[in-house]
Amino acid sequence: MSAILEVSDISKSFGGIQAVNGASFTLDHPGIYGLIGPNGAGKTTMFDIICGRQVPDAGKVLFHSSRVDGVEPYKLSRQGLARTFQECRVLPEETCLDNVLFAAQSKRMTSEMLQVFTRNTKHRRDAEVEARRLLRLINLEQYADQPASDLSYGQRRLLEIVSCFMSKPRILLLDEPASGINPTLLNTLRDFLVELYEETKIVFLIVEHNMEFIMSLASTIIVMHQGRVLMQGAPEQVQADESVIDAYLG
Amino acid sequence: MKLSLSTIVTIVILAFGALAPFIFGGQPYILYVLTLALCYTIPAIGVNILYGYTGLVSLGHMGFAGVGAYTTALLMKDVGLPFVPSLFGGMFAAGFLGFLVGIPCLRLRSHYFIIVTLAVGMILFTLFNNLDGLTGGAEGLPGIPRPGNIEIGSFVLDFRSLTGFYVLTFIIAALTFGLQYILVRSDFGRSLSSLRQDESLAAARGVNVFGHKLAAFVLSTAIAGVGGAMKVLFLRAAAPLSFDMNESINLMMMLILGGAGYLVGPVIGAITFIALPEFLRVAAEMRLIFFGFVLLILARFAPRGICGAAEVAYRKLANKEANVVRYT
Amino acid sequence: MATAILEQFINGAMMGSIYVLMALGMVLIYGVMHVLNFAHGVLFMVGGYLTHLFFFSWTGSYPLAILGSMVALAAIGIVLERLVFRALRDNLRMQIVSSLGLILIIQNGVVQIWGPHALQMRPTTVETLVKFGQLSFTLQHFVIMGVVAAAVAALYLFLTHTRLGTAMRATSQAPEAAVVVGIDPNRVYTLTFMIACALAGLGGALLGPLFIIFPQMGDAPMLKALSAIVIGGMGSVPGAIVGGLGIGIVESLSTLVIPTDYRDTITFGVLILMLLIRPWGIFGVRVRGED
Repeated sequence: MSAILEVSDISKSFGGIQAVNGASFTLDHPGIYGLIGPNGAGKTTMFDIICGRQVPDAGKVLFHSSRVDGVEPYKLSRQGLARTFQECRVLPEETCLDNVLFAAQSKRMTSEMLQVFTRNTKHRRDAEVEARRLLRLINLEQYADQPASDLSYGQRRLLEIVSCFMSKPRILLLDEPASGINPTLLNTLRDFLVELYEETKIVFLIVEHNMEFIMSLASTIIVMHQGRVLMQGAPEQVQADESVIDAYLG
Repeated sequence: MKLSLSTIVTIVILAFGALAPFIFGGQPYILYVLTLALCYTIPAIGVNILYGYTGLVSLGHMGFAGVGAYTTALLMKDVGLPFVPSLFGGMFAAGFLGFLVGIPCLRLRSHYFIIVTLAVGMILFTLFNNLDGLTGGAEGLPGIPRPGNIEIGSFVLDFRSLTGFYVLTFIIAALTFGLQYILVRSDFGRSLSSLRQDESLAAARGVNVFGHKLAAFVLSTAIAGVGGAMKVLFLRAAAPLSFDMNESINLMMMLILGGAGYLVGPVIGAITFIALPEFLRVAAEMRLIFFGFVLLILARFAPRGICGAAEVAYRKLANKEANVVRYT
Repeated sequence: MATAILEQFINGAMMGSIYVLMALGMVLIYGVMHVLNFAHGVLFMVGGYLTHLFFFSWTGSYPLAILGSMVALAAIGIVLERLVFRALRDNLRMQIVSSLGLILIIQNGVVQIWGPHALQMRPTTVETLVKFGQLSFTLQHFVIMGVVAAAVAALYLFLTHTRLGTAMRATSQAPEAAVVVGIDPNRVYTLTFMIACALAGLGGALLGPLFIIFPQMGDAPMLKALSAIVIGGMGSVPGAIVGGLGIGIVESLSTLVIPTDYRDTITFGVLILMLLIRPWGIFGVRVRGED
């Protein structure tokens, strides 16, 4: 069986700064993977490259054996790659339910144009059941008909994550999900992510700063340092590794 | 099911529009002004799809309306085609130009796109004004024929009469409104709406940003072309000044006044902007000064126009707890 | 042919200088505040009318009238920034709506006050002719170029050698950092608007007497200036100068080859081409990221 996500020899520089310098890693099995590293290690650039926001200078990214580096974000999404944003993005004017439903609908122009004329709403009604279940899961059911802009930051974060699941992704990329979330909600978030993982069994790749959070959540940790992958292993292994500690202590 | 405010307003406006010939049958002036307002409603609906839903500002839309207008006029006057194919011709010409302009320009960032639309509007105006052989130059194109009569049994609808033309314009405006309705309340409309709210998120969710913007732009320019055609058929002459930068700005203004992003926004905007001052009989300059101040106030306090303000008020009435008022 | 080229070149450089004044104002406002002020053209026009008013009613002196119109426009600039644009920071769509509203108010207000007909004023600089062989220009042509050159130099010195100018540059490059080092952004914004409006006033005061003063006189210079700042690179001061002069000269020379009526088409055509090939302009820096 081929790898789910294979990143090989990625390099990217901005001006004179080498952000990523020949980084490689492979995600073979479904699981929760954490991507960590000290500031400037290149993990955000790496994340942007996987999401199609940046084009690498060299190297390639394979998703289920097909090249996805340099592919536009909307095409990646259609291939089953869902992502969240560091600054947390939801559609502020839509209701929570519409936010979740929007993720479920097909955005291909042909099927949309067909839907304009057939006015078929079956897919929407079908998706609504699942959407409400997901909203219940994050305790947002009572807000279903309220605009997302009414939610607190933490609630919006949860809404953003459940929306991703509506598109039935094959891989989920989370960009610092714990940032800006208060410690109480953090536990809810962790439980919720584990629950969703148990249900879907797909790859979660999480870039995270909050060590405690990611170490207790991920099954495998990938450590980046100075634009390269320093090591990949279980949380206990990584925490005990001398080179990782050195990298963090600088 | 609770009737939404926009449904109620839509029904009232449609009923009023359909009954207007009977109500104002003896008052040609009122019917004249209402017809003119309908001629602006159509392109305003086009701009609503582009600005109100997709979030793109165009300051040259009347230029595209002009392309539709001149094409329709020439097809009827010089080629001698009947009304309906000519109107489609105008619509396609405007939409095709929108396609040609959109392909290179819709990838530009928002400020630049606005400037491009302004420049395209200016270029089109220069062409209308100077291609004397085709457009009649600054004097314009006079003597555009009105559509032929329709006879249903003994009932004759004469489009050369004011009432007849009003009915025709009303039907076309209503069809455009219907198109807007099915477009925005569809998966396609929701994708457009997502672009206005957050382009990066829309892309991450699988919306082809460029493709959807292009579709919205082509639709919106084609609709503007229909509006321009109706305007010159009504005035029976095509003149460049009907399609200059000021007209494009007025069009944006109507929409913002009425409420961008609301189905009835363009209708209310066009009526308020065209018809109300006519009935209040204020001098043109005073009216524009007044609307200028209205725009400043709207931009600051009610960015979603009359409809937005009405929605806030309605929600307060409908829901006394009033904690679900939507601000944008 | 050579004389015709020289004639159009001088004419173009003169008009280009006017565009430079407008473009500098717009680029300052855009660079510092990220506002596209479409109302800049009507402010230019008001500059023309006020010069006429000050010249005939109060001073009788052209230089004093110019100065008066610049001061008045600077005051208008303060009002506009405080009352209209300050509350709309970072709201691109509503800034544009507001600038359209201002166009309507100011343009039609001027028609209300002065009537729709054009005004004329003929200071001695317009009546005096300067001859080069077969060619003759009004002295005003050279006054315009000289004054604009002086204004550009003054602006450059202001931006690079004064505390306020440095504060303006700092705010345009890194607003948050500027606040940290103790710059009050609101003061900088007001100052920017003041200078930009005064420059528009100067433009109107210089061009008005050469031709005529009428309610739409600012429309074309605003559009050309807008093209100039895009071609030069949004937010780049040298770009505005090169872009403005370039547009003036190119459109003037183009009349030798194509009918005058299509002159504007050339400018906007160049603008669109530029946007397609190099959207960040001649002097601009390519901005990374999607929004």
